[in-house]
Amino acid sequence: MNEWEIAAAVLAGALLPCLGVCALAGVADGLVAMELAGTIVATVLMLLAEGLQRQPFIDLALTLAILAIVATLAIARLLEHDL
Amino acid sequence: MSWRHIVASVLLIGGCFLQVWAVLGLVVLRNAYDRLHCLGLAGYGALLMATAILVRQSFSLIGDKALVTGLVLVLFGPILAHTTARSLRIREHGDWRAGIERHQESEDQ
Repeated sequence: MNEWEIAAAVLAGALLPCLGVCALAGVADGLVAMELAGTIVATVLMLLAEGLQRQPFIDLALTLAILAIVATLAIARLLEHDL
Repeated sequence: MSWRHIVASVLLIGGCFLQVWAVLGLVVLRNAYDRLHCLGLAGYGALLMATAILVRQSFSLIGDKALVTGLVLVLFGPILAHTTARSLRIREHGDWRAGIERHQESEDQ
Protein backbone atom coordinates (compact mmCIF):
# COMPACT_ATOMS: atom_id res chain seq x y z
CA MET A 1 0.00 0.00 0.00
CA ASN A 2 1.64 3.25 -1.10
CA GLU A 3 1.13 6.79 0.25
CA TRP A 4 -1.50 7.68 -2.37
CA GLU A 5 -3.66 4.73 -1.37
CA ILE A 6 -3.27 5.58 2.32
CA ALA A 7 -4.39 9.17 1.65
CA ALA A 8 -7.34 7.84 -0.39
CA ALA A 9 -8.32 5.55 2.52
CA VAL A 10 -8.12 8.44 5.03
CA LEU A 11 -10.31 10.63 2.82
CA ALA A 12 -12.76 7.77 2.23
CA GLY A 13 -13.08 7.56 6.01
CA ALA A 14 -13.74 11.31 6.08
CA LEU A 15 -16.86 10.66 4.01
CA LEU A 16 -18.59 9.09 7.02
CA PRO A 17 -19.11 12.41 8.88
CA CYS A 18 -20.53 13.88 5.64
CA LEU A 19 -22.94 10.95 5.47
CA GLY A 20 -23.86 11.52 9.12
CA VAL A 21 -24.63 15.21 8.53
CA CYS A 22 -26.68 14.30 5.43
CA ALA A 23 -28.68 11.75 7.42
CA LEU A 24 -29.16 13.59 10.70
CA ALA A 25 -29.16 17.35 9.97
CA GLY A 26 -31.64 19.37 7.94
CA VAL A 27 -31.95 19.75 4.19
CA ALA A 28 -29.71 22.84 4.01
CA ASP A 29 -26.93 21.20 6.02
CA GLY A 30 -27.32 18.03 3.95
CA LEU A 31 -26.79 19.99 0.75
CA VAL A 32 -23.56 21.49 2.10
CA ALA A 33 -22.39 18.05 3.24
CA MET A 34 -23.19 16.65 -0.21
CA GLU A 35 -21.10 19.38 -1.88
CA LEU A 36 -18.17 18.60 0.39
CA ALA A 37 -18.57 14.86 -0.20
CA GLY A 38 -18.47 15.46 -3.98
CA THR A 39 -15.16 17.29 -3.65
CA ILE A 40 -13.72 14.54 -1.45
CA VAL A 41 -14.84 11.69 -3.72
CA ALA A 42 -13.33 13.43 -6.76
CA THR A 43 -10.07 13.75 -4.81
CA VAL A 44 -10.17 10.08 -3.75
CA LEU A 45 -10.57 9.00 -7.40
CA MET A 46 -7.67 11.27 -8.35
CA LEU A 47 -5.47 9.67 -5.68
CA LEU A 48 -6.50 6.15 -6.72
CA ALA A 49 -5.57 6.95 -10.33
CA GLU A 50 -2.07 7.87 -9.18
CA GLY A 51 -1.74 5.12 -6.56
CA LEU A 52 -2.94 2.28 -8.76
CA GLN A 53 -1.62 3.81 -12.02
CA ARG A 54 -5.05 3.40 -13.61
CA GLN A 55 -5.82 6.22 -16.04
CA PRO A 56 -9.63 5.68 -16.19
CA PHE A 57 -9.94 6.81 -12.56
CA ILE A 58 -8.68 10.30 -13.42
CA ASP A 59 -11.40 10.59 -16.09
CA LEU A 60 -13.94 9.57 -13.48
CA ALA A 61 -12.57 12.21 -11.07
CA LEU A 62 -12.83 14.99 -13.65
CA THR A 63 -16.32 13.89 -14.73
CA LEU A 64 -17.51 13.64 -11.14
CA ALA A 65 -16.12 17.09 -10.28
CA ILE A 66 -18.07 18.68 -13.15
CA LEU A 67 -21.26 16.67 -12.56
CA ALA A 68 -21.20 17.45 -8.83
CA ILE A 69 -21.13 21.16 -9.66
CA VAL A 70 -24.09 20.85 -12.03
CA ALA A 71 -26.03 18.68 -9.54
CA THR A 72 -25.42 21.12 -6.70
CA LEU A 73 -26.59 24.07 -8.78
CA ALA A 74 -29.75 22.16 -9.77
CA ILE A 75 -30.55 21.05 -6.21
CA ALA A 76 -29.86 24.54 -4.80
CA ARG A 77 -32.24 25.98 -7.38
CA LEU A 78 -34.91 23.41 -6.47
CA LEU A 79 -34.44 24.14 -2.76
CA GLU A 80 -35.43 27.78 -3.28
CA HIS A 81 -39.03 26.68 -3.76
CA ASP A 82 -39.20 24.20 -0.89
CA LEU A 83 -38.28 20.86 -2.45
CA MET B 1 14.64 9.53 -2.19
CA SER B 2 14.46 12.28 -4.85
CA TRP B 3 13.33 15.88 -4.31
CA ARG B 4 10.22 15.14 -6.37
CA HIS B 5 9.20 12.42 -3.94
CA ILE B 6 9.71 14.70 -0.93
CA VAL B 7 7.80 17.66 -2.42
CA ALA B 8 4.96 15.39 -3.58
CA SER B 9 4.70 13.82 -0.11
CA VAL B 10 4.58 17.24 1.60
CA LEU B 11 1.87 18.46 -0.80
CA LEU B 12 -0.08 15.22 -0.36
CA ILE B 13 -0.02 15.45 3.43
CA GLY B 14 -0.95 19.16 3.30
CA GLY B 15 -3.89 18.53 0.97
CA CYS B 16 -5.09 15.59 3.04
CA PHE B 17 -4.88 17.71 6.20
CA LEU B 18 -6.92 20.53 4.60
CA GLN B 19 -9.69 18.16 3.54
CA VAL B 20 -9.87 16.40 6.91
CA TRP B 21 -9.93 19.87 8.54
CA ALA B 22 -12.85 20.84 6.25
CA VAL B 23 -14.78 17.72 7.29
CA LEU B 24 -14.07 18.53 10.94
CA GLY B 25 -15.46 22.02 10.31
CA LEU B 26 -18.57 20.52 8.74
CA VAL B 27 -19.21 18.51 11.90
CA VAL B 28 -18.32 21.21 14.43
CA LEU B 29 -19.86 24.35 12.93
CA ARG B 30 -23.42 25.18 13.86
CA ASN B 31 -25.52 26.03 10.82
CA ALA B 32 -25.47 25.69 7.03
CA TYR B 33 -24.12 29.23 6.44
CA ASP B 34 -21.13 28.56 8.70
CA ARG B 35 -20.59 25.15 7.14
CA LEU B 36 -20.42 26.65 3.65
CA HIS B 37 -17.00 28.08 4.55
CA CYS B 38 -15.57 24.53 4.55
CA LEU B 39 -16.14 24.11 0.80
CA GLY B 40 -13.34 26.46 -0.24
CA LEU B 41 -10.91 24.74 2.11
CA ALA B 42 -11.67 21.32 0.61
CA GLY B 43 -11.16 22.70 -2.92
CA TYR B 44 -7.70 23.97 -2.02
CA GLY B 45 -6.91 20.58 -0.47
CA ALA B 46 -7.82 18.95 -3.78
CA LEU B 47 -5.60 21.42 -5.66
CA LEU B 48 -2.65 20.65 -3.35
CA MET B 49 -3.06 16.94 -4.00
CA ALA B 50 -3.38 17.53 -7.75
CA THR B 51 -0.14 19.51 -7.57
CA ALA B 52 1.45 16.58 -5.72
CA ILE B 53 0.46 14.27 -8.58
CA LEU B 54 1.80 16.78 -11.10
CA VAL B 55 5.13 17.03 -9.28
CA ARG B 56 5.41 13.25 -9.16
CA GLN B 57 4.24 12.54 -12.73
CA SER B 58 5.21 15.75 -14.53
CA PHE B 59 2.88 16.69 -17.40
CA SER B 60 1.48 13.24 -18.17
CA LEU B 61 -2.13 12.24 -18.89
CA ILE B 62 -2.89 11.69 -15.20
CA GLY B 63 -0.97 14.83 -14.12
CA ASP B 64 -2.75 17.13 -16.60
CA LYS B 65 -6.21 15.87 -15.76
CA ALA B 66 -5.49 15.97 -12.02
CA LEU B 67 -4.50 19.63 -12.38
CA VAL B 68 -7.69 20.40 -14.34
CA THR B 69 -9.78 18.59 -11.69
CA GLY B 70 -8.11 20.55 -8.88
CA LEU B 71 -8.58 23.86 -10.69
CA VAL B 72 -12.26 23.10 -11.41
CA LEU B 73 -12.86 22.34 -7.73
CA VAL B 74 -11.07 25.51 -6.58
CA LEU B 75 -12.68 27.84 -9.13
CA PHE B 76 -16.24 26.57 -8.71
CA GLY B 77 -16.12 26.20 -4.89
CA PRO B 78 -16.89 29.88 -4.14
CA ILE B 79 -19.55 29.95 -6.89
CA LEU B 80 -21.29 26.93 -5.37
CA ALA B 81 -21.04 28.40 -1.87
CA HIS B 82 -22.55 31.69 -3.06
CA THR B 83 -25.34 29.97 -5.01
CA THR B 84 -26.18 27.71 -2.08
CA ALA B 85 -26.27 30.60 0.39
CA ARG B 86 -28.49 32.60 -1.98
CA SER B 87 -30.89 29.65 -2.36
CA LEU B 88 -31.04 29.09 1.39
CA ARG B 89 -31.88 32.76 2.00
CA ILE B 90 -34.62 32.65 -0.63
CA ARG B 91 -35.95 29.47 0.97
CA GLU B 92 -36.00 31.07 4.44
CA HIS B 93 -37.09 34.65 3.69
CA GLY B 94 -38.67 34.55 0.22
CA ASP B 95 -36.06 36.97 -1.16
CA TRP B 96 -32.28 36.95 -0.71
CA ARG B 97 -32.32 40.73 -0.04
CA ALA B 98 -34.78 40.40 2.84
CA GLY B 99 -33.44 42.20 5.90
CA ILE B 100 -30.60 43.87 4.03
CA GLU B 101 -32.59 47.06 3.21
CA ARG B 102 -33.73 47.31 6.83
CA HIS B 103 -30.12 46.94 7.97
CA GLN B 104 -28.96 49.68 5.58
CA GLU B 105 -31.76 52.03 6.70
CA SER B 106 -30.81 51.59 10.35
CA GLU B 107 -27.18 52.34 9.44
CA ASP B 108 -28.17 55.51 7.55
CA GLN B 109 -30.17 56.87 10.50
